[in-house]
Amino acid sequence: MGLLSIFIFLPLLASLLILALPVSSKGSYKYIALGFTMVQFILAGYLYVHFDPNLGGIDSANDFQFVEQLPWIHMELGAIGKLEIDYFVGIDGISLPLVLLSTFVMLMGIGASWNIAKSPKGYFALLMILNMAVMGIFCALDFFLFYVFYEVMLLPLYFLIGIWGGERREYAAIKFFIYTLFGSVFMLLVIVGLYFSVTNPETGAHTFNMLHMMHPQNYVEGSFFAYMANTHNVLGVPARLVGFIVLFIAFAIKVPIVPLHTWLPDAHVEAPTPISIILAGILLKIGGYGIIRICYSIFPDMAALTNWWLALIGIVSIIYGALNALAQKDLKRMIAYSSVSHMGFVLLGVASLTAEGVSGAIFQMISHGFLSAALFFMVGVLYDRVHDRYIYNFRGLASIMPKYTAYVAIAFFASLGLPGFSAFIGEAFVIIGAFNAESMATGIPRWMAIAGSIGILLSAAYFLWTLQRMFFGQTRVKGGTDWLDALKDLNRREQIILFPTLALALFMGVAPAFVFTNLNSSVLHLIDIIKPYL
Amino acid sequence: MENISNTLDQIVASLPVFKPELSLMATFIICIFVGLFFKKQGSKGAFIISLTGFLVTICFLAPQIGHPTTGFFGMLLIDDMATYSRFIIAIGGIITAIFIQQRHPKNNGDVYSVLIAVTVGLNLLTMTSHWLMAFIAIEMVSIASYILVGYFSENKKQSEAAMKYALFGSVCAAVMLYGLSLVYGLTGNLDFQSQAHLQGLMNAPQAVISIALIFVFVGIGFKLSFVPFHVWSPDVYEGAPTPITAFLSTLPKVATIILFTRLYTAWSSTLFYFSELTIWFIVLVAITTMLIGNLAALRQNDSKRMMAYSSIGHTGFLLMAIFAYQASAAYLLYYLVAYVLMNFATFLFIDQIQQQTKSSDLRSFAGLGKKMPILFTCFTLTTISLVGIPPMIGFFGKLLVFTQVFEVYQASKDLPYLLLLCVGALTSVISLFFYFKIPLYAFLRSSDKPIVLNPSKNILFVLGMILTAAIIVLGIFPSLLLDILG
Repeated sequence: MGLLSIFIFLPLLASLLILALPVSSKGSYKYIALGFTMVQFILAGYLYVHFDPNLGGIDSANDFQFVEQLPWIHMELGAIGKLEIDYFVGIDGISLPLVLLSTFVMLMGIGASWNIAKSPKGYFALLMILNMAVMGIFCALDFFLFYVFYEVMLLPLYFLIGIWGGERREYAAIKFFIYTLFGSVFMLLVIVGLYFSVTNPETGAHTFNMLHMMHPQNYVEGSFFAYMANTHNVLGVPARLVGFIVLFIAFAIKVPIVPLHTWLPDAHVEAPTPISIILAGILLKIGGYGIIRICYSIFPDMAALTNWWLALIGIVSIIYGALNALAQKDLKRMIAYSSVSHMGFVLLGVASLTAEGVSGAIFQMISHGFLSAALFFMVGVLYDRVHDRYIYNFRGLASIMPKYTAYVAIAFFASLGLPGFSAFIGEAFVIIGAFNAESMATGIPRWMAIAGSIGILLSAAYFLWTLQRMFFGQTRVKGGTDWLDALKDLNRREQIILFPTLALALFMGVAPAFVFTNLNSSVLHLIDIIKPYL
Repeated sequence: MENISNTLDQIVASLPVFKPELSLMATFIICIFVGLFFKKQGSKGAFIISLTGFLVTICFLAPQIGHPTTGFFGMLLIDDMATYSRFIIAIGGIITAIFIQQRHPKNNGDVYSVLIAVTVGLNLLTMTSHWLMAFIAIEMVSIASYILVGYFSENKKQSEAAMKYALFGSVCAAVMLYGLSLVYGLTGNLDFQSQAHLQGLMNAPQAVISIALIFVFVGIGFKLSFVPFHVWSPDVYEGAPTPITAFLSTLPKVATIILFTRLYTAWSSTLFYFSELTIWFIVLVAITTMLIGNLAALRQNDSKRMMAYSSIGHTGFLLMAIFAYQASAAYLLYYLVAYVLMNFATFLFIDQIQQQTKSSDLRSFAGLGKKMPILFTCFTLTTISLVGIPPMIGFFGKLLVFTQVFEVYQASKDLPYLLLLCVGALTSVISLFFYFKIPLYAFLRSSDKPIVLNPSKNILFVLGMILTAAIIVLGIFPSLLLDILG
């Protein structure tokens, strides 16, 4: 059992431990969850320190690090040939920062769930299973394994939203589940198609190995997703394009893109604070990660063909999400829509197919990961105290909650892309990448970069306007004196969670090399794979 | 004279092949006698004897693996597909017997003998390619099933279910027999794998073939309850006692699917009209069955009735599995095992809940998750498997079927196959809606009325947990099962 396996399955152990302990020791559940996740975080730090930034990864197994490969399901199947599914995990420059981010956000999530009163046993057990699934997704290099983790993630989330959520939690939980499952069952069909199209060059067996799927020479001639002389089509659309679109939709639902985003505001609004944090901080990144790891690496030809449309979808998400955020009256909903807008940058950056754009997109994912987690945490702080988060029900909070206001202001400024904070680096690189794309002839026109910067402008508008509406002016809240009593400033636990997050945003804004160093060779390698098809 | 002695020789030589069924028949007779002569200990004795009978059958089955043979002039085909499916049936029979014994401990002496009679019929169904044999077997299963459905009937609803089942069944049997007589007239040979049979079908006029085949499929369709011959099953499943419902929704389908698979492999390989008719019939029926079964299940509020529609939906999926059947039966058998495990587990859980709350209505599950956490956790895991979400057995079964259909699609490039795949995928999403009503009510909703439970810890609950464990373990390590089947 290697380091990465321990890293992935530690939370499962925690979950079993929590389930095994009697209810009388329910005070200990959160400490178990925290302890195990802390160990995970330290392990992720170890991975980061011992990561060799010169190795690219992406499509060559030798360049992946901390690799573990064990045969899982190997069978002779007569006429169909051999079935080959491996337990195959490893990380490269693209998964490493996301793994690190996930453990960090998971810690925040556990910190935010410190006061969960409703059946903590089930809550922390499910949270730990979710933790395992997420780490598995970022490390899996076998498509079957990836799919298993991807689906396993849904179930704990359904219950976490459905049991511990707000008023319309049933609706939000099933909507989220259906959206994702809809994307993933069709993804399964594409996986099956890829399985039949690809053989392992060493054994000649059909395989689910993602890395084998990235090499054109492994494709069987005449197979459904074959590169050369592929005559397969579905209703006139070439098979490879169909495969790419289906996979893209599956992940785009997670990102989410407009118009597949409608589950997100509901899920966020109804989910309890820690789950919102994990949703925004980790699960949206799975969409972006899937597009890079799977859509772009396995279908580089189609990535080159469709990038104009993808960039357009990115722009639409940026602008539409921002305009929606402007119109929201519920603080949590506003932040949910700001997520849609910020994740649009990820898509724009990836679609630009330039090194700057793709690096910027990944950086944006990391930055948005903990900034949005921080924002949702802050909404939770308010909601915990007065069970209300209507923007117009609060005014002049600065004078009664000065520390809180300071943190919120910093988080807002960081999120709107103020230079010096991480979001600025991410967005700037995406815009630069999109702007340069025309000179690199990747097919992204300059006006898209300009449209992206309008999105930044809009984000400044809604964040600053919210700041003004809720925190400045004369103190006036809807609930009168009851609320004024309840609205205590941040306590120590909340500060312990918020301070490192915002410090990290500042740190990464000042020293982006923290992420870029390890990212670089993987991104360049990815671009190299796609370039021949441009 | 010589002819007769030859015949006798053949029969005597075939007897060892028939050992598993012979032992079941012996058990059947002993069961009846025990019921007759030992009234007092009757039920318990019959239960033990029937269990012994099933175990002896399994012992006789084991040596038959890997030794394909035929018996009784080719009326019986013993191959691995037949042997493995009989294993499934025998194990299913044991579970049913335990289920009955636990749930209806009184006045049940004869039910075991009927159960054994059904099993003999099911066994015959899995190992024949002869229409006459198949018809006898189907009738044997049907008649015994009518008795089972009505055996414990306590109220009007249950009697109505039995009556409905018997009426539908007899009409379908008659129609099938008529179709068979046409087929016999056309071919002069009732073995559907034989050359003469295929030759006769090739030469027959299209209109007659269409009528004959569709009549034959009516009979099979009734047993499998695929659309449009499914109307009986929700009423019967809801009305019948839960152990019988669990039995009816699984084992007869296994046997009939095996028969249908033999028919399909024998007939689909030619390029003549009857082959195409069979193929398109299966594709069309599979698509409509999956859609109608799953869509109708959405509207159900009774858990047993919902499971009836769910099993109709799964029948559609099984048809898809037959359709994709190629050289190896491992995929099909794997899915059958998955289906049997999941359905038995589900009905065991429904029964547990029904015992404790006196209701099988989904809405009465509200808030029960807190009262029965282990049961509902297992139940939820089973429903996940039914939807086809990893890492459960149902997922891997679905994946295997998808791979086979995709293989067919890649080779032929015909759009209907793609449609089959898409409908298969889409109905998984639809099925999520109704299966998840169970955890929805149990965990997400709370009840306004105080919940009164009649606690009953027993073997069945343990059995349900064992099945759930199997669903998970065989889902994560499918090789355990596939290596045996392949």
